[in-house]
Amino acid sequence: MLLSTIVFLPIIFAFVVLVWPQAKTIRHIAFILSLLEFLISLIVLNKFDSGTAQLQLVEKQMWIERFGIQYFLGIDGISLWLVLLTTFLTPIIILASWNSIDKKLKGFHVAMFVLQSAMLGTFLAMDAVFFYVFWELSLIPMYFMIGIWGGSRRIYATIKFFIFTMAGSVLMLIAIIYLMYLTQQSSGQMSASLLEFYKVRIPFVGGSILNLQSLLFFAFALAFAIKVPVWPVHTWLPDAHVEAPTPGSVILAGVMLKMGTYGFLRWVIPLFPDAAEYWAWVFLVLGVIGIIYGALVAMVQPDIKKLVAYSSVSHMGYIIVGLFVFNEYGITGGLYQMLNHGVSTGALFLLIGMIYERTHSREISKYGGLAGVLPIFTIFFFIITLSSIAVPMTNGFIGEFLILLGLHQAKPIYAYFAVSGVVFGASYMLWMFKRVFFGEKGELVKDIHHPLKDLSLREISILTPLVILVFWMGLFPNQFLDYSKASVKHLVTNKNRYYLQIEDIKSGNLKQIENK
Amino acid sequence: MKIDIGMADIIRTSPMIAIFLASLIPLTSKLFNNNKEPSNLITLIEGIGGLIVGLVLLAVFGGSGETAFNKVLVFDSISFWMGIIAISSAGTAIIMMYENPATNGNQFSELVFLALNSVVGMLILVSALDLLTVFIGLELMSLSLYLMIGMSHEEKLSKEASFKYFVLGSFASAIFLYGTSFIYGTTGSTNVGLLMQDAMGLVQTNRLFLFGISLVILGFCFKISIAPFHAWTPDVYQGAPTPHTAFMATAVKVVSFAALLRVVATKSLAASDGLFMVLQWLAVITMLVGNLGAIVQTNLKRMLAYSSIAHSGYILVGVITAGVSDAGFFGASSVVFYLFSYCVMTLGTFAIVSILEKSDDDIITIDNLKGLAHKKPIHAFCFSLFLISLAGLPPALGFFGKFYLFNAAIGEGLIWLAIWGVINSVISVFYYLKPIVLMYMTEGESDIAGHSLNATTVTVLASAAFIAVLGVLSGPLFSAVEKSFIN
Repeated sequence: MLLSTIVFLPIIFAFVVLVWPQAKTIRHIAFILSLLEFLISLIVLNKFDSGTAQLQLVEKQMWIERFGIQYFLGIDGISLWLVLLTTFLTPIIILASWNSIDKKLKGFHVAMFVLQSAMLGTFLAMDAVFFYVFWELSLIPMYFMIGIWGGSRRIYATIKFFIFTMAGSVLMLIAIIYLMYLTQQSSGQMSASLLEFYKVRIPFVGGSILNLQSLLFFAFALAFAIKVPVWPVHTWLPDAHVEAPTPGSVILAGVMLKMGTYGFLRWVIPLFPDAAEYWAWVFLVLGVIGIIYGALVAMVQPDIKKLVAYSSVSHMGYIIVGLFVFNEYGITGGLYQMLNHGVSTGALFLLIGMIYERTHSREISKYGGLAGVLPIFTIFFFIITLSSIAVPMTNGFIGEFLILLGLHQAKPIYAYFAVSGVVFGASYMLWMFKRVFFGEKGELVKDIHHPLKDLSLREISILTPLVILVFWMGLFPNQFLDYSKASVKHLVTNKNRYYLQIEDIKSGNLKQIENK
Repeated sequence: MKIDIGMADIIRTSPMIAIFLASLIPLTSKLFNNNKEPSNLITLIEGIGGLIVGLVLLAVFGGSGETAFNKVLVFDSISFWMGIIAISSAGTAIIMMYENPATNGNQFSELVFLALNSVVGMLILVSALDLLTVFIGLELMSLSLYLMIGMSHEEKLSKEASFKYFVLGSFASAIFLYGTSFIYGTTGSTNVGLLMQDAMGLVQTNRLFLFGISLVILGFCFKISIAPFHAWTPDVYQGAPTPHTAFMATAVKVVSFAALLRVVATKSLAASDGLFMVLQWLAVITMLVGNLGAIVQTNLKRMLAYSSIAHSGYILVGVITAGVSDAGFFGASSVVFYLFSYCVMTLGTFAIVSILEKSDDDIITIDNLKGLAHKKPIHAFCFSLFLISLAGLPPALGFFGKFYLFNAAIGEGLIWLAIWGVINSVISVFYYLKPIVLMYMTEGESDIAGHSLNATTVTVLASAAFIAVLGVLSGPLFSAVEKSFIN
């Protein structure tokens, strides 16, 4: 029941918020509830056995019997940290929305909780149709979040976001249904369960895209690539980020983009191992282009938020190349980088939101000399900047290092290009930092009539846990990586026999499959 | 030919008889009351009561697979499920007629009389096993509708709608009848059950038979607004009073699809690849025309009309699947399920439109919806839910409708149709999101006051509840439908 609780409790919270009579205390109650959700997710961490790659805390129940669609939840080393990231960021986001969201509070918190539920469901669902339901459900609250509480061009951005991501995922639905028919062919029983999918041997012929495995591979990959977003289908992201309110940006960068990379890891690579290996170059090339392109475009942005949005394109490019080298370093690095990006980019968007609340501008050129005026803010911003450009001892370093190591081991050529992203990354972040915090005071900072106030206690308490994580993850990565080690190892060595073996060792029919 | 009518025939047709008798009550009471209109509420209760009796009788005696009146009517799963959906939709539409300003004038008893007779026509249509019975059912249903649309109020648009519908509907009937004559000429029979046994050979060898069956299908294409025979739909849907539009978009469409399903979905026509290829392309074109047409509309009802054309395209995919199916009645079940979900969503949507209309000639544009979320939060929420469901987003009921439909298509190897279907779902998101954007995301006061229609609001809430709950519990319902087909 634990995973069901984790997934559906936020929906119940949404109802609680909806019927909560006092408008004044909605924020407080929502914060407490989200904290409660985080504590429950810690129980999952506590119960998690890091020694095995097996799915844990499994809950299975027939849902739509006619098609073998199951209510199927499970967790392993790949989804564990993403679940915790989601539950960890939610209270922070609710706390951060305190000042930035001032209208339709009820609606905001309802959307927030529904979104949390949908994201957790995406990470925990092990049945394809069940997964798809959560995957699409997550669009609706995000759509409202950008559309109602966003900036001036919010409607354009929200519709673009919706259409782009939905257009990507519909082909995945066709592919899922097709896979269900394949399970029927191979075992006589239709099923949408991930474990049954793994058992299907999908024909693959190299050299052409027109073979079953490649087609299914691309149908899935397109959906996830748009979500990540991989260059060149990234264009919805900067618009969505710039127009979204701070909490929306944080959740988008912090968690939602990871749904895409998680999808690659959970569905695409293990389900279509031959196609993934054959077409890996496509994603390596696109990933590297994303790294460099994102960094270069970020460099010339006049708007801080847009700069961070494009830096996301660059950072997510790293994760993609990490996943597509199929070795332990690369995938571990990719997984770690997902968390890092959630923490540090989430924190950057929070910081930008804080300064925006004070000045109502995000234009870099209007700032300058902020360091002298807002020292605490500057320190926080500096630490997060370091994490974002992957300075050793911060979390970002571990992730990027592992990815580049894995990439170098498998495909050195790509590593030479990808490493340039590190340099570009450092330059655009530091250049931005210099322009905003040092030098002559800009017009917004100079205004003596309305002197800028430094961070409040609430704001410090929002950022502190993130900063702690930056160092914790940077200094003791093994404390995190140990949980996913077994799963990643299993994924790399067994590819699509990932769970199959474990399941079948239990039931004793491994031999039979080997013989096939 | 010896015609013997037994008690069994009467019992099997008892739903139609009951509804027909019920339809006479309001008129008779008006007659005995010196031609003075009785209270609308009493008329409504009489009408709904008649429908409920019909529904119960159908539930008790229907679905047995037996025939009546010398095999011109059959009471199988198609007539059972489609009949239930049609009666329920008609009942909901009548409730809306009771409250809508355009239709609750001094002729409500006549309106209920016509609506109930239209339902009788529908029940004949869903059960008809003979092309001539199909024609009788079709005409009884349509003639009642022409009158209903035309008499309801003095608005010019509705007269135009009635006339257009009449002319094009008659045109369709004529084509249908023409096709029937060809079929009779080549086979010597108009009994669908009999001629479908021979159809497999005939479509390949006999051009005249193929011509006849094509014309019959074409006649249906008019009724269910398959492009390019859809042109009347937006005008008629827009011009007719909203409850009538709801009636046409749900009950009429369901039964027309039922009759088409009976002709196409026997696998006997599958021998004609050409015919099925044409139907597949018609489905694709219909989806595209409906969705692209809806994007450019500014009038809310017109937009919904185009969206209903698009939905006809989706359903046609299911009908085609049922036609080529080897695997039992999967395709037909998915059509029934889709129609069920479609009716729930569409009735809810039109109920909202009905609530927003101030007077009988009020035209609601999409821009009128601005800021509705402030003024009517519950209605705005339900409306959004309906639109999300119509767009086919999970976990709403509409998603599962599409899921089963495309699942059936993929199961039959019609993957390209399924891909067209999902691409169209994405296109449809453009216009389904627009009202939501305007209701929730734009500032500015909505200038539609609307009014409080109690029963209609109940309809809205019930539809919303259906969509939310049945989305999660769709499995058992689908299994029940499919099981009834297999037995």
